[in-house]
Amino acid sequence: MQLFEDLNLEVHRGESVAIIGPSGAGKSTLLSLLAGLDQPTAGMIRLADKNLAELDETDRARLRARSVSFVFQSFHLLPELSALDNVRLPLEIRGEANSEQQAQQWLSQVGLASRAGHLPGQLSGGEQQRVAIARAFATRPDILFADEPTGNLDSETGASIVDQLFSLNAQQHTTLILITHDSQLANRCSRRLQLRQGQLLEAHA
Amino acid sequence: MNRTVPRLARQQAISSLRSPEWRALLAALIVAISLISLLTQLGDRLEQSLNRRTAELLGADLVLRAEEPVALAAQNGIRSSQVAQFPTMIEAGDEMMLVSVRAVTAPYPLRGTIVTEPALHPDTPEPGTAWAEPRVFEMLQLEPGDTVQLGYSQFRLSHRLISSPDRGSGFRSFSPGLIIRSDALEATGVIAPGSRVQYRQLFAGPTDAIATLEEQLRANLGPDERLYSLRAEQPMTGRALRNAELYLRLSALFALLLGALTITLSLRRYNAAQHSRAALLLSLGLESRQLLLLYGYQLLFGWLICALLGTALGFGLQQLLVQLLGNLLPQPVPQASVAAMASGALIGLLLLTTLGLPAFYRLSQVSVVALFRETSLPSGVRLRLFQLLGLGMLAALMSIYIESLTLALLLLGALTLSGLAVGLLAQALLQRLAQALRYRMRLGSLLILRIRQQRKWHRLQAATMTLLLTLLTTLIIARGDMLQQWRTQFPPETPNYFLINIQPWEKAPLDQLFADEGLSPALYPMIRGRISSLNDTPLAEAPLSAEQRRHNALRRELNLTWAAQMPDNNTLLSGSWWEGTPSEPLISVEQDLAEALGVSNGDRVGFQVGSQVLQARVSNIRAVQWESFRPNFYVIFSPGALENLPATFITALRLDGEQRQLARTLLKQFPTLTLIDIDQLLNQAQALIEKLVDSSSMILLLTLLAGLLLLVVTLMQELERRRYENALLQTLGATPGQSRQLDLLELLWLGLICGALAAVASEAILWLIHAYVLEIPLTLHPLSWLLLPVLSALLFTGIGAMIRKPLDQARCYSLLKAS
Repeated sequence: MQLFEDLNLEVHRGESVAIIGPSGAGKSTLLSLLAGLDQPTAGMIRLADKNLAELDETDRARLRARSVSFVFQSFHLLPELSALDNVRLPLEIRGEANSEQQAQQWLSQVGLASRAGHLPGQLSGGEQQRVAIARAFATRPDILFADEPTGNLDSETGASIVDQLFSLNAQQHTTLILITHDSQLANRCSRRLQLRQGQLLEAHA
Repeated sequence: MNRTVPRLARQQAISSLRSPEWRALLAALIVAISLISLLTQLGDRLEQSLNRRTAELLGADLVLRAEEPVALAAQNGIRSSQVAQFPTMIEAGDEMMLVSVRAVTAPYPLRGTIVTEPALHPDTPEPGTAWAEPRVFEMLQLEPGDTVQLGYSQFRLSHRLISSPDRGSGFRSFSPGLIIRSDALEATGVIAPGSRVQYRQLFAGPTDAIATLEEQLRANLGPDERLYSLRAEQPMTGRALRNAELYLRLSALFALLLGALTITLSLRRYNAAQHSRAALLLSLGLESRQLLLLYGYQLLFGWLICALLGTALGFGLQQLLVQLLGNLLPQPVPQASVAAMASGALIGLLLLTTLGLPAFYRLSQVSVVALFRETSLPSGVRLRLFQLLGLGMLAALMSIYIESLTLALLLLGALTLSGLAVGLLAQALLQRLAQALRYRMRLGSLLILRIRQQRKWHRLQAATMTLLLTLLTTLIIARGDMLQQWRTQFPPETPNYFLINIQPWEKAPLDQLFADEGLSPALYPMIRGRISSLNDTPLAEAPLSAEQRRHNALRRELNLTWAAQMPDNNTLLSGSWWEGTPSEPLISVEQDLAEALGVSNGDRVGFQVGSQVLQARVSNIRAVQWESFRPNFYVIFSPGALENLPATFITALRLDGEQRQLARTLLKQFPTLTLIDIDQLLNQAQALIEKLVDSSSMILLLTLLAGLLLLVVTLMQELERRRYENALLQTLGATPGQSRQLDLLELLWLGLICGALAAVASEAILWLIHAYVLEIPLTLHPLSWLLLPVLSALLFTGIGAMIRKPLDQARCYSLLKAS
């Protein structure tokens, strides 16, 4: 089955791009292709000046480790680790020094300094997503992929999460690619793209 | 609604066959059922086979021995025959020799077979003929067909008696044997009032009937009568058999525990996967009672499949193994009983109910809220009750193998507590180890996070695996120790000849003859006497219980001796051995006798030797290896105490090959002494022990295999669960290599720690087993301290590396999306 057809997209550093579209249109597949998690059967993807097809799995993992972060709809925090340790995890994977101080600092940035020792189960949904955001920014990525980041949150909490996401994005000069159903969220991005029948079209607010 | 549950259960039972968690549970159950069924059937067959082997030594299932002729009417399908056995001299030309004659009625023997040369022989010797052991032919220089004079009768020696059961007990069994017909006995005229004849009645028949008869006979046993049954009375092999049976039971018990562990772990996993399904069914209107019923049906359905497969597998495997063992086991191997065949399935059902009830009760109490957000599974008083009930039933199952519910409960309690303690200890050790290695190792910091994150799994896994490794190590080492004990019981230098009736004036020339031959057997003087008083109180008035008074040594004359040094194969337990000739008579007492008499060091014991009475003080207590085929004594006097009493001497020696000629020389030069050839007895005992060794190796191998399976199953379950976590790690930037190294590193340390803890725990358990079960001296096993951690680390890492499936990047994201 051909999922995408004649699909071209160029995203520049610091841009924020929203990809919207109906369920089953292939938004998540597109995201995993863009992030180098999956390989297309045809076509070419360049990420941070590298042709992904020319890299093997280890190199792609290194590239991702250097440049890419994710925020998920269902947070994906490890339930047995404290908020602090969850944020530390990607730093430890990269073998960074003072991971603990850095993680603490990122938790403060998202307003959770006082809850660093709590386990995910002891945090509300909004707080869990803020930990996930702190974790995503902790590695100072070039690109942040967010897959329905407010999908599991009520609108008020969602809004505050979005504020946090965009303010950190601006502060860190990160490229933001997000998949969403939420038109308000999409409207805050500099570009909005509609995925429909395998094609991406610029949508205008 | 009534039909809803069975219908749902049917659907669920079929559809759940696709679920990996349910399939894993069924696999665990099949393994447990087949292993238990295999071990029980094998145990049953070996036990029957060993019993038959013992019966073959006894020549019957039950033997009544008396000083007077016995002829009890046998009923209930029991067959019986009579034997009169006595020592006598036979003549052939100018040669004479002491033989042990058995006069028997047909059928004889009732169990086992008499092997003769020529092989074909009637039930009992034909009138006018006798069968004689090769030594008779050899000593008297006869050939088959020649005749010997026995009292007033002549017998033609028609067959060589190569081997025969029922050789009798005591020294009369050691002289070369001769078998004649019972009806030929009277004409010989050798039996007169006062003759040393031992009468035996042999019984064989259905197990139940024999057990009833044994009970009846035991209750009415006269003072001069003794009863020999399959279990109780095989002096040189009885203990080896008892230990082998204990070992079989120990293995079956461990298999049961292994099965319980594997099933518990699989149930946990299945339950966790059913959490939201249960909540969904409840939200759709099912009551929690119905939910419990639903899962109950499903368990029953699962059990049925596993019972059929497991029993078939167990049966097939044990047939195969018995086949493979072939001639190692006494042939033909009896079939296992129906109860043994069904045991695996029944125990499986009990295990499943016992362990499944608390698990599924918990599931039935799940809250519908679980559908909306993560909730923890409920606990409560009733759940605790179910868990306690489960443990109680498990203890009841265990008591099948250890024959004591209290002991089973204690053991289970100890296992649970030590499991908890080991889990916590292992987790703390892991943390320490990771902290210590933090900066010395790549991935050090990640490993710390991993250990923190997986602490619950580590606790559970370490408790399970340490227990598993401890059980397996205990089985291996206990087996080794047991074999060692069996083998040292009959080292190559075990004497095969006894010399008795050595007169005092023959001692010096005999010593010289031995010295010329390069032999130096110890000669022990032997004086017969009775214990007559304890601490100056006559024995009849001594404060002894009825049980103590029944001790064999109080009811007959003892062989007393004196010695300057303690015999080699004895062990001093308390007190001290004497030096030179003490000023007052001292004695060394064998531990069982000391216990039966309630005497300890310093007590005074009186002896009646002929018309003389002597008093001696207990100087030490000693352990004796009764099975050692050496002269053994209940009581040894210090030098000087018995020297002026009439004594004969006894010794035992090993003669092989050319040296066997010495036996002839001995009899020629010292015609009054009696030479007893125990080669056949020794060979029979050794063959039996070799068979026990083989069967224990096989059982060990199977249990090891089951243990390995448990390790593989738990690691597989965990690594499958880890896929989500690894997907997350890889999405956060870890390379597949990093996440693999992290998993394996974690398993390496976990294996190392489990191995080290198991080494400590198995020493503790072995200490208990040595002291209280096998009753053998305590030893440490330093090799296991080193080997166990290393092997366990290698095993964990190796299996982990083999079954860990790499996760490609594309799967990572879809896995995260799906969860």
